Amino acid sequence: MPEKQSVLEQTAADQWKVLPSGLTVIVRPMPGYSGTHVIYATRFGSIDRDFRLDDKEVHLPAGVAHFLEHKMFEDQDGDAFAKFAKTGANANAFTAFDRTCYLFTATEQLDESLDVLLEMVGKPYFTQQTIDKEQGIIGQEIKMYDDSADWRLITGLCECLYHSHPIRSDIAGTCESIATITPGMLYDCCKAFYAPNNMVLAAAGNTTMEQILAACERNGLMEPRPAERVQRLWRDEPMTLAAKEKTIRMPVAKPCFGLGFKEEPLPSGDLRSEMLYDLILCCICGGMSKLYRRLYDEGLTNPGFGGEVLRVDGCCCILFTGESDAPDAVRQLLLDEIARVRAEGVDREIFTLCKNEKYGQLIENLENVEDSASQMADFALAGQTVAQQITTLAGLKAEDADAALQQILREERMATMYIQPDGTAVLPEDDGEEEEA
Amino acid sequence: MKRMEIAPGVHLSWDPAQKFNRCRVSIHFALPAKRETATAHALLPLVMERGYADCPDMTQLTKKLARLYGADLTVDARPMGANHNLCVSVTGIKDQFALEGEPLTREYAELALGTAFHPYFVGETFAPDAVNIEKQMLKKALEDEVNEKRLYCQRQANREFFGDSPAGVRQEGYLEEVEGLTARQLTDAYYEMLRAASIELIVLGCGEAQTEAVKNALLEELSQVERAPAALAENMAMPRREPLYKTETFDTTQAKLCMLFTLGQPMQPRQLAAVRLAMALYGGSVTSRLFLNVRERDHLCYYCSSSFQSFTGSMAVNSGVEHADAARAEKAVLKELADLCDGPITDEELEDCRRSLLSGMTGLEDTLGGIETWYYMEVLRGGPIQSPDEARAALCAVTKEDVRAILRALTLSVSYCLTREEGSTHA
Repeated sequence: MPEKQSVLEQTAADQWKVLPSGLTVIVRPMPGYSGTHVIYATRFGSIDRDFRLDDKEVHLPAGVAHFLEHKMFEDQDGDAFAKFAKTGANANAFTAFDRTCYLFTATEQLDESLDVLLEMVGKPYFTQQTIDKEQGIIGQEIKMYDDSADWRLITGLCECLYHSHPIRSDIAGTCESIATITPGMLYDCCKAFYAPNNMVLAAAGNTTMEQILAACERNGLMEPRPAERVQRLWRDEPMTLAAKEKTIRMPVAKPCFGLGFKEEPLPSGDLRSEMLYDLILCCICGGMSKLYRRLYDEGLTNPGFGGEVLRVDGCCCILFTGESDAPDAVRQLLLDEIARVRAEGVDREIFTLCKNEKYGQLIENLENVEDSASQMADFALAGQTVAQQITTLAGLKAEDADAALQQILREERMATMYIQPDGTAVLPEDDGEEEEA
Repeated sequence: MKRMEIAPGVHLSWDPAQKFNRCRVSIHFALPAKRETATAHALLPLVMERGYADCPDMTQLTKKLARLYGADLTVDARPMGANHNLCVSVTGIKDQFALEGEPLTREYAELALGTAFHPYFVGETFAPDAVNIEKQMLKKALEDEVNEKRLYCQRQANREFFGDSPAGVRQEGYLEEVEGLTARQLTDAYYEMLRAASIELIVLGCGEAQTEAVKNALLEELSQVERAPAALAENMAMPRREPLYKTETFDTTQAKLCMLFTLGQPMQPRQLAAVRLAMALYGGSVTSRLFLNVRERDHLCYYCSSSFQSFTGSMAVNSGVEHADAARAEKAVLKELADLCDGPITDEELEDCRRSLLSGMTGLEDTLGGIETWYYMEVLRGGPIQSPDEARAALCAVTKEDVRAILRALTLSVSYCLTREEGSTHA
């Protein structure tokens, strides 16, 4: 269908350029849109704890990438938020296991906002005094996540599945670990991981490649840079579990549970397997599956029960989380269903429909400037384009899923995490209100 | 966005929104909330979303949506002050992206109308089996709300704040009533909605002929209903009162604080621009006083923000704080408000906030959700419907005194704290 191909190519088209500095720039002009969303991302996240920079070995406490993200908004002239306030841009940032992203959306003064972003990330400034100041706020953030049952399930499962991989540690670290951060550590991280050749600049919306390149030029990103000699250091991680089971108590109304399966790490850039695993999960316990329907109708879990793939360098696992009064029964039903699908093969109709859904999702993510830039940046960090993802998806077959299932979701590599109510959470009496302004 | 009345109490809002990859058909039903039917109306969306007459089975409906490239069918109920709003919406990729040339938009419209007007009945009521399953889901959802402490704190504060007023009807349902609810009662609530609701059909991203077809199909459905639209509840405000301080004990790592303020009288639509700027200045942005002073300077909390609800003329300040700092945070929140009311406001901070709001308004028509939310809120608020451009112009005219007038009118009614330390939480 050549006409269809052309519509798709046009919609998914983005412009790529690798600058002499090594920075990858991706732009998707979106006619008719008022805003532009820009993401400046580095392949540096919470798992990057041990590395060699030139001849020096660096070992970081947990939470440095996230701490650095906070401190990046501050320089000798003051706070970058204050500078964004002068352009009207709405700025933010986030840190994940394997990346840190700085972003803004602007409808006016895009050039000025780009300069604020590129300068703040390009010219870091840290002192012990400003580091000490930040510890209070980040400590509060850590405590906020400590109260989230969903997040505790994820971190608890990672602690069970892994012996030494840094995915075991919370992205934000602990109050104790961040207390040991020094300016020297932060500068080392910037030198190692904020080099342009480790970064991606993605922009989507009311802009052009020329406009983005001009900003790069103004900020010295067109000049060649000597490549930093950085080597990430990984400790050996056996395929055994660190623990089979873990239970904690929290102020929740109902018990929560998680099941984690440790899988072989995927090669860097292998987004195909990740997509295939997603489709397998959709077949086993997605909304169209028999298992989901049984769990739903019998009230065994909450409607949000489902699986997800967590994959970073040196680590790949599949996590199922939900709430249940009978977590062990749910676990057994899930294991039985995995065994059945492994023996019989995935349901062909459901597999095709799951692919349909993924295709629709990829198209949807090209629709607004935020999703569009995020999707481009995500794929670019793995060296791929959206168009390649659509092609990869089209090429996936049910037989691929059957073959993969012989290797993944093995019971001997499964850990269980329970969160039991501590008895302080009473049943709510409640009303809800919409917030507007 | 074009808007026209197509029948008494029924409007069509339409925007071809050509730049988007998806289109959206939504049908909003708005009616005054009632205490006696609140739980039935809370259950209604869950049962309606499971299936409808032409596709009664939940799993088959999920497959149908997947066939439509993962189209999203949502039946969503939410409080709008003293009114209740149920929205049936279908959003999906446009026909041009269908790999086999399927007429997707037509199917989206059929799905939305089928779900709204042809629910799956066994005999004369919703299917009892489906009702029973969804009752369990509603119970679970109500029981689980305590897991999200920030939301829970805000809702507990709301209960104290609104009391028995119409805006205090718990529209997500009353836990103790769920078990006893029958399929008959649910069906009655559904028919009450069809009969009494103001209806807004919103069609985004469709051509003129497609929109006309959806409109006519809706009118055809409504011709089968004996309609008697009820007037919607007007904007209200809780009367001023002596502040109530409440503490609830939980063994959490972080304490949560929610402070609710009343405007004392209903917000007028003409005040909205000043309210927006007042919120941005006080606690609704990263250049606000609460963010810069309470969070960044005093390090009292990870988040501390304000938001305003125009239907109820109320402002909420939510904060996550150290248990030991809750009283200090509460004091700081009040001090920042007092400083804005009586102290200097610099031109720079006012213009920073205004610029940020203007920028956000310029971009809100970049998403389907942004367009729909903007215009539908304008409809519900009453008064003339402002486009984002008109709202921008109004915002440009707001002065410091306008902002102060809003903030000075806000007085504290309720301060609610979730903490593990009893007795030392309030200022």
